[in-house]
Amino acid sequence: MLKLFATIVLIGFLALSLGIQPSCAGEIDILLRKLVDKGVLTPGEAQQIGTETKEQVKVEMAQGKYSSVPAWVQNMKMKGDFRLRYQLDHAAGSTSRVYRHRERIRLRLGVESKVNDKILVGVGLATGLNDGSTDASRSTNASLENGFSKKVISLDYAFAQYMPASGVTLVGGKFKNPLWEPGDLIWDTDINPEGAALQLTRKLGSGVEGFLNAGILVLDELSTSNRDPMLSVLQAGAKIGLGESVSLKGAFSYYNAAKAKGLKLDGTTGTNTNTGTAGGNALVYNYSTLTPAVELKVKEPLKALGIDLPMLAVFGEYVNNPLVENSGNGYMVGMKFGADKIGKWGDWQFAYNYAQLEKDAILDILPDSDRVGGKTGVRAHEAILQFGLGKNTQLSVDYYYGWTIAAKHAAAHVAQVDWNVKF
Amino acid sequence: MKVFNKVWIAGLLTLALAVPCFAAKIVVEGSTTVLPIAQKAAEVFMNANPDADISVRGGGSGVGIASLIDGSCDVADASRAIKEAEVDKAVSNGRTPKANVIAMDGICVIVNPSNKIDALSRGQVKDIFTGKISSWSQLGGPDEKIVVISRDSSSGTFEAFGELVLKGDKVRADALLQASNQAVSSSVARTPGAVGYVGLGYVSNDVKVLVIDGVKPSKETVLTFAYPVGRPLFMYTDGAPKGLAKEFIDFILSAEGQNIVEEEGFVGLK
Repeated sequence: MLKLFATIVLIGFLALSLGIQPSCAGEIDILLRKLVDKGVLTPGEAQQIGTETKEQVKVEMAQGKYSSVPAWVQNMKMKGDFRLRYQLDHAAGSTSRVYRHRERIRLRLGVESKVNDKILVGVGLATGLNDGSTDASRSTNASLENGFSKKVISLDYAFAQYMPASGVTLVGGKFKNPLWEPGDLIWDTDINPEGAALQLTRKLGSGVEGFLNAGILVLDELSTSNRDPMLSVLQAGAKIGLGESVSLKGAFSYYNAAKAKGLKLDGTTGTNTNTGTAGGNALVYNYSTLTPAVELKVKEPLKALGIDLPMLAVFGEYVNNPLVENSGNGYMVGMKFGADKIGKWGDWQFAYNYAQLEKDAILDILPDSDRVGGKTGVRAHEAILQFGLGKNTQLSVDYYYGWTIAAKHAAAHVAQVDWNVKF
Repeated sequence: MKVFNKVWIAGLLTLALAVPCFAAKIVVEGSTTVLPIAQKAAEVFMNANPDADISVRGGGSGVGIASLIDGSCDVADASRAIKEAEVDKAVSNGRTPKANVIAMDGICVIVNPSNKIDALSRGQVKDIFTGKISSWSQLGGPDEKIVVISRDSSSGTFEAFGELVLKGDKVRADALLQASNQAVSSSVARTPGAVGYVGLGYVSNDVKVLVIDGVKPSKETVLTFAYPVGRPLFMYTDGAPKGLAKEFIDFILSAEGQNIVEEEGFVGLK
């Protein structure tokens, strides 16, 4: 036992004296073999010491990497992306054959810093307007126009996040949407809600992970009233692994905007039932939406046929606002196939969805701004093709064909060709 | 004063009822290869230490290491070494993964007993599994299609085989993937023309083990570095093991624990 202890000390000293470099691994192997040959160690002890020493070196190198730079740099991560877009628009209801050509850019920059083991702060800037218009919360585009004018950069998000225990996250401020949605029937993906949210995740068994999201989101602050409109949200769901290659994710969500009635919200498209211009466009109803959603994903679904298709997913989502008598329903069905993530040259993914959103199914400040102008009371098809051009860069083509339910034959077309670069 | 006494008695009762809740408990999770060792060792250990509560579950090496990093298990079983990306993630999460080698294993290349091939080089095995060789006739055998059977990608055996034999290349797309060593062994046993790989502990008389680079896998050849597809089996802990985790790992490394390792078909360290 004393001999084994002395050997471990010797090996440890050797590893340290060699500066704990990967290249010393071979020398340790040689030394261990000599010790085995001389009967100092058994072959098993040599394997144990050699392997554990190499593993220790890996960990110490990683720790060295993290401790060789100042703490504030270690704990800070920067990220960003730039998008160059060509967009072709033909508005719904337009009888003109004139199409609108738009050249647009998007720039986003974000920084996240770990204050300590349990607190993280994030700040993000992005192009886009902050003027209370329809696009203010739902778009980060800056159009190339107005004689080379400077473009507006706005605060996209700013939050503090507290993680008191594994699987428990509290976040407050203006933050990335904590709610899971398989498509964008309810939420435009550019919206960063404001308020406070709680996220819980927990393993519920082998291959089953449950999640619970809850939040109080501030829709507006009224200077003349104490009845500020809020959106309360509660979402419960689970992801279930069905064998090696199939997973099922589903959630049931409840949204309640109980104090919306009688108000005109910033960013509205004016498509929820309202009192009309004479009445100040005030909302006639409150919005209390029930939403089940599900997504089934299969890895390598055509492997048995010898076809290399990495992923196929189908999804569906339904919304219902029981507070209105008519026009309170909506749904989206869709599918996607190809690469799960676009990471390198040649990766591709095709996605398609069809959405119907009746006029009072959800608040009209929320849905995808490119689907018939971000209105409710619409039906639309969307097809997206993404193609990887290399690491962190991709090309995508997105086409919307939609119409308002009230004017079926006056379709809106939007085609977008994007070059995206992440950094 | 009476109120104080009542509170005091109630406190003592609560403490007395709570004590059993603090009986030592650990969760051991990960590699399906290490699973039989962990299960058997936990059973024997808990019989000898009735207060100990050791929960053992599989899931694969990657799952176990991920659980160790997020703090949902105390001991991560792994049939491969932790990856650099996993180490980075662990360190950035404030964890210090400590490797505890508890046994050795040889990954055996197995074929159906009807196969006339006895030996292959590692290069030939790689060519079979990556699809460059698709018929046994290319190796001097009959004109019979090779049916490649592999482990699924969450398996540590898959990772170790990929590193030691495939050198990072991908397994052919039409390979049949199985979720356990036992399933690979059974598939090879009933499929003429099949080839697969399993841990030494899963070799049976129903399959034929091939000599690789002139060396047959055995306890001696694995321990003396002679067999080229040998690997250590790990139990990772966050920092040096302590408490019940230390007692459990010490037990596995004891003579009794190493006997369990050998009984389960793996190679003991002593």
